Amino acid sequence: MKHLYYCALGIIYKELLRFIKQKSRFFSALVRPLLWLFIFSVGFKMALGLAIIPPYETYITYETYIVPGLIGMIMLFNGMQSSLTMLFDREMGSMKILLSSHINRNYLLFCKMLATSIVSTIQAVTFLIIAYFYGVQMEILGYILAIPVILFTSIILNAIALFISSVIKQLENFATVMNFVIFPMFFLSSALYPLWKIKDSSILLYTISSYNPFTYIVEFIRFTLYLKFNLTDFLTIIFIFALSLTLAFVGYKSKTTIAKKKK
Amino acid sequence: MSSALKLDNVYYKYNKDLVLKNINLEIKKSSFFVLLGLNGAGKSTIFALITRLLSLQEGSISINGFNLKDYQKALKNIGIVFQEPTLDLDLTVKQNLYYYGSMQGLSFKQTMNSIQSELDKLELREKLDVTVRDLNGGHRRRVEILRALINDPKLLLLDEATVGLDVKARFDILNYIRDIIKERNISVLWITHLFDEVEANDDIAIIKNGRIIENGVMNEIMTKYEKDSLPELFKDLTK
Repeated sequence: MKHLYYCALGIIYKELLRFIKQKSRFFSALVRPLLWLFIFSVGFKMALGLAIIPPYETYITYETYIVPGLIGMIMLFNGMQSSLTMLFDREMGSMKILLSSHINRNYLLFCKMLATSIVSTIQAVTFLIIAYFYGVQMEILGYILAIPVILFTSIILNAIALFISSVIKQLENFATVMNFVIFPMFFLSSALYPLWKIKDSSILLYTISSYNPFTYIVEFIRFTLYLKFNLTDFLTIIFIFALSLTLAFVGYKSKTTIAKKKK
Repeated sequence: MSSALKLDNVYYKYNKDLVLKNINLEIKKSSFFVLLGLNGAGKSTIFALITRLLSLQEGSISINGFNLKDYQKALKNIGIVFQEPTLDLDLTVKQNLYYYGSMQGLSFKQTMNSIQSELDKLELREKLDVTVRDLNGGHRRRVEILRALINDPKLLLLDEATVGLDVKARFDILNYIRDIIKERNISVLWITHLFDEVEANDDIAIIKNGRIIENGVMNEIMTKYEKDSLPELFKDLTK
């Protein structure tokens, strides 16, 4: 078992090294949600009224509402960034090192997802600290419990991103996928407005948002931050976790794209 | 005694095209085996099948006596140098080596211990803390070779390992590889399209359009076809 531990350690070490060396990646990942928090939310809160909905027990400001969604945004974009890196690695060749190891490929891919999730969690925690000083404050226990939840749900988004990277044939197609996956996934969720608000405007969009895994991820984080637990959401998250991992593993099971590109 | 690498009746189809046809190869232990062919002949597809980057569709591959289906055993004692650069340019040599070592289930200490004896031979000791981006092509290739030796392999696979290097760097690498066959008692599969990298006593297989068209010891094949040089023989066989 020791070799598996060293293997995980190596993958996490490399991801953290890359993260430290690419400081611009860290700041750009933070700027996006901070823009929403500091600027967009000012305009949105004028237009949107928020009723009391679980897990909140009182009226809240719009800034308070969108913080869990913006954490989701960090995780989502970071996952896709990682997926892009993997695609780049695959095109450039370094992905072959991972895929040709004698260690179980699914385990290696899981370690890769875990490593990226650790980076996402560091970014999300940094964002929460900034939001705290901006005035969006929760109980300390909420923050503590949210850390493993962010890590766990980030793995789901990384697994989805990994699956996407496995089906994309060329690096150039990734921008298209970003537009067709990231933006719909983010906007058709409860990240920026509650589902009942969407329902008021469009039943169709509400239905799509209700089935969006990202909605469950955001709500799971939101409930945890406010020390609330919803069993249905939890079980759904577990199901999405298993499904996304399976997709990622199957996507990289019998890779043929390396040779295909050469033909 | 089992062979270092054995391919039996390997076929590979991409879409409707049969890109490998009935490939049979056997590499003896502690030998230098050259797979020679033009670009697009199927060399890299064979390499990708051995390293599991592609799934085997038909036939069987065994490495050091282990069937590739049991890849956790089969791939454990091989070292690989890919045709494309596979180092992380933003990391140092040491960090790249450690990352690869971890892929083999080794700790940092185990990784560094395993390459101590080769660091000076490859003139890389002074380069350990240099970022790969700052190395020239020859040194990058040496790092990749050093990396392939981390897990003390019994079989070393090198796919066009000298492509893009100048003549001196090419032959430095080739001579190093030939030397370690005896020193480390390993077998080497050297995939190339460069005739001057093949020596008279090398085991060689010539591949054309996905088919092995000749296989044996280089000078015996030359005698068989009454040819004086490999380019002449190759031209004759592949026309």
